[in-house]
Amino acid sequence: MATETAEHASGGGFPPFSQLGEFGASQVFWLIVTFAVLYFAVANVFLPKIRKAVEDRDGAIKKDVAEAAALSVKADESVKQFEAQIAAARANARDTASKAKAEADAKTSAATAAKEAELNSRLAAAEARISETRTKAMTNVSAVAEDAAAAIAERLTGAKPSADTVKKAVASAMGA
Amino acid sequence: MRIATDPMHQFQIGKWFDLNIGGYDLSFTNSAFWMVVGVLLVIGFLALATSKMSTVPNRVQSLAEIWYGFIAGIVKDVNHAPGKPFIPLVFSLFAFIFIANMIGMFPYFFTTTSHIAVTGFMALFTIGLVVVVGFIKKGLGFFKIFVPSGVPFVLLLIVTPIEIISFLSRPISLGMRLFANMLGGHVALKVFAGFIPSLAVALGGIGMLMGGLLVMPLIVGVTALEFLVAFLQAYVFAMLTCVYLNDALGEAH
Repeated sequence: MATETAEHASGGGFPPFSQLGEFGASQVFWLIVTFAVLYFAVANVFLPKIRKAVEDRDGAIKKDVAEAAALSVKADESVKQFEAQIAAARANARDTASKAKAEADAKTSAATAAKEAELNSRLAAAEARISETRTKAMTNVSAVAEDAAAAIAERLTGAKPSADTVKKAVASAMGA
Repeated sequence: MRIATDPMHQFQIGKWFDLNIGGYDLSFTNSAFWMVVGVLLVIGFLALATSKMSTVPNRVQSLAEIWYGFIAGIVKDVNHAPGKPFIPLVFSLFAFIFIANMIGMFPYFFTTTSHIAVTGFMALFTIGLVVVVGFIKKGLGFFKIFVPSGVPFVLLLIVTPIEIISFLSRPISLGMRLFANMLGGHVALKVFAGFIPSLAVALGGIGMLMGGLLVMPLIVGVTALEFLVAFLQAYVFAMLTCVYLNDALGEAH
């Protein structure tokens, strides 16, 4: 393409080399100026800010983790305390229960003893009544036996024995 | 039409204001303008990002922190603790090159990093800094970087000149890499884009169809690649700055 070659010639061919003499100093100068501005802004303003933010975050994370660890230790401790309290309460409850049981046992045995004594006294009274009744009955029996003996002797002998004799005879027979 | 077809025109520097200091022509050019724009963009972004610093960052602050972490990570990995004072420098270098490369991705914007004067000076500055810091930190011991330890004396006769040559070629390769990448990529874009009107003029409707179907996807792909290169070259420059600084900061290898 003819026009392009002409363009090349008029434009100076390969600008990075062909314009080096004309604009090299200008490029380096402006590079130094702009780069210096960038460097000082970055080094003195922006990077310290960013670094500080990053370090602050790391610090905050470390602090939070440490706090969480401390809290976890605390929680463990309170769990232990709580467990100890539960154990104490359980022992207390066991004590109270056994005391109550002992009391109840004592009461029960006292009541049982009282009832037994009462029963025994009633038994004794009953026995006394029985023996009294028996003696009464026995006296009745000897009266009947005396009558029967007197009647039997009257019929056999025809003579009526005296009451005293009959009594003696019956008493001796029953006593034997 | 001439601007549209000449792939070299985009690299042309034009004078805007005259400025002459001490016999040097330091005129304000389109190149200077876009350097100023780039620096203002970076400063503007950082000012926005750091305007409301909080423990729980907003999006812009988070971006700035990721950016800082990225650069600080490179410096920490390569230079370890002694590299800490150089984080702002590496950060600025990366920012300056990255924003210049990104500005270059816009049509009719000037790519300041596509000129060897700019990239070459940056490279010379970096290597000069390495030498200065090296002499400050190690004195004449700095020359030990040319004499690898544990190498037999006979081999040293060969290795030392190689090391010296490799050291001297660093500013050239460092400056040339960035400049050539930006220039080459933009030329490629322009040439590929030029295919479309050329085809249309030469073949009419079929040419337009071919341009649209074949060339356009290519341009889209190359553009995406150029965005990658824009980032990558800034990263490589920052990374190599750290690696070279290690000669001055680290123990002798």
